[in-house]
Amino acid sequence: MSEQATAPPPAADAAAPALSFADLSLTFADGTHALAGINLAVRPGEFVSILGPSGCGKSTLLRVAAGLVDYSAGALNVDRAHLGFTFQDATLLPWRTVRRNVELLLELRGAPPAERRRIAQEKIALVGLSGFEEHHPKQLSGGMKMRASLARSLTLDPKIFLFDEPFGALDEVTRERLNDELLALYARQGFTALFVTHSIAEAAYLSSRVVVMSARPGRIVAEFAAPFPYPRRDEIRYSADFARLSGEVSAALRAASAT
Amino acid sequence: MTAFYPPRPAKQRPLAAIEIALNVGPPVLLGAALAALYAWARSGLEEHRRFLMPGWSDLWTGAFASEPVRAELFRAAGVTAQIALTGLAITIPIGMLLGVLMFRWRFAERAAFPYLVALQSIPILAIIPLIQSLLGFGFVPKVLIVALFTFFAIPTTLLLGLKSLDPGIIDLFRLQGASWRTTLLKAGLPASLPALFAGLRISAGLAVIGAIVSELFFVSGDGGLGQMLINTKIDFQYEQMYAALIVSSAMSIGVYLFFSWLGRRLFSSWHDAGEA
Repeated sequence: MSEQATAPPPAADAAAPALSFADLSLTFADGTHALAGINLAVRPGEFVSILGPSGCGKSTLLRVAAGLVDYSAGALNVDRAHLGFTFQDATLLPWRTVRRNVELLLELRGAPPAERRRIAQEKIALVGLSGFEEHHPKQLSGGMKMRASLARSLTLDPKIFLFDEPFGALDEVTRERLNDELLALYARQGFTALFVTHSIAEAAYLSSRVVVMSARPGRIVAEFAAPFPYPRRDEIRYSADFARLSGEVSAALRAASAT
Repeated sequence: MTAFYPPRPAKQRPLAAIEIALNVGPPVLLGAALAALYAWARSGLEEHRRFLMPGWSDLWTGAFASEPVRAELFRAAGVTAQIALTGLAITIPIGMLLGVLMFRWRFAERAAFPYLVALQSIPILAIIPLIQSLLGFGFVPKVLIVALFTFFAIPTTLLLGLKSLDPGIIDLFRLQGASWRTTLLKAGLPASLPALFAGLRISAGLAVIGAIVSELFFVSGDGGLGQMLINTKIDFQYEQMYAALIVSSAMSIGVYLFFSWLGRRLFSSWHDAGEA
């Protein structure tokens, strides 16, 4: 594995990034140039969204951060001991109940049954799925499955949370509701988030910073600060600042897709 | 040009009794039609050849109502079941092991797959004489024939099931540093159960057929249903022959239903196919 998580000793100052890519590139074995010189440092507690044209490598960047894909050049610094990852699908095991699904990660890490059960119960309550512990995934709606998936990631108490378009398959209302719940979790747990999405509104609403990537090979071509204090409320969606930010991101995205 | 399309009331849900009749009716009707066809074909036979198609009452008095025939059917069915189940007891674990190996190493899949297909395309009846010459007339060659009949469906369906595992789930396990074995036991095998059971149902039915076919070629020793079929034919006891046929089919259907039931128990709570 080409991670360098332990190479530089953790800096004492709080400003040291929780996750950083330095001139990171990735070329696949078949010659596909997926990522070209990614420079991105995510500060602890920051919520960074990544937007980009389809196939630009934003999901790949998350997978590199998580260690699912090796990179070819540059450097990556990340602490994977407390890493949360939610996928595009809920990726629940269909034969397991919600409770047993939420327990899975701790089970794989060898946590004792009583402890993982207690933690699972707590996280299920946190995402509002109490009462559905013994349901199987096929009995749940898309939104509920995603909540179960979030609860599962939360059992690890992630310090760094990677989201790969988790709400892309949901309807608008469910998506906005889950956005609010994710913000509540973010406020409560204080993780660092890297969030891949296709939705400009979602990126602007959730993040402290929005990053736009170019078409493949993916590079970071624009960055925007989202000037809205947390905790955020639904009203900001209809503010002038929000509209302006959305417009700027949209323009950057169109420019990135054109190249 | 607009036209008026009148509203139409939603179709009423039929009464429970009608719904049951709609489910049970068609197979019963077809069964009655087949019975009528049988009776018609029988009536068309010349008198001296009518023994070839015993009537229902003859079948009852000449076979199922007769205590010694019932005992013989029961004993023969036991022998056949033993051959079929022994064959399955061998092919299920070996087939599953091969399926897992083929999933683990593409090399193993590439190596084994052509031979699996070949095994499936060899007419097994044609190699029974060879098996006979090699292994004689005992229990072992019969079990081998059952194994040849039943093997193919097991590794292939298991492999299909394992390959259908959601790649996201594999990533999920990888992120926790789970070993390949853990991933197989906690994700791969459960995910492939529905596919595997489709294979087991096929193999179970074939096991009974294989056992009976094997006996047709090995008329020796304490025979099962296959031997009974041959012997009753030789003795012109066609009622008993039909009874043996009926019991053979019942056994085949029985093992099929058993695996359907077991599959339903195992995964109906989470898989749609389990509800069928």
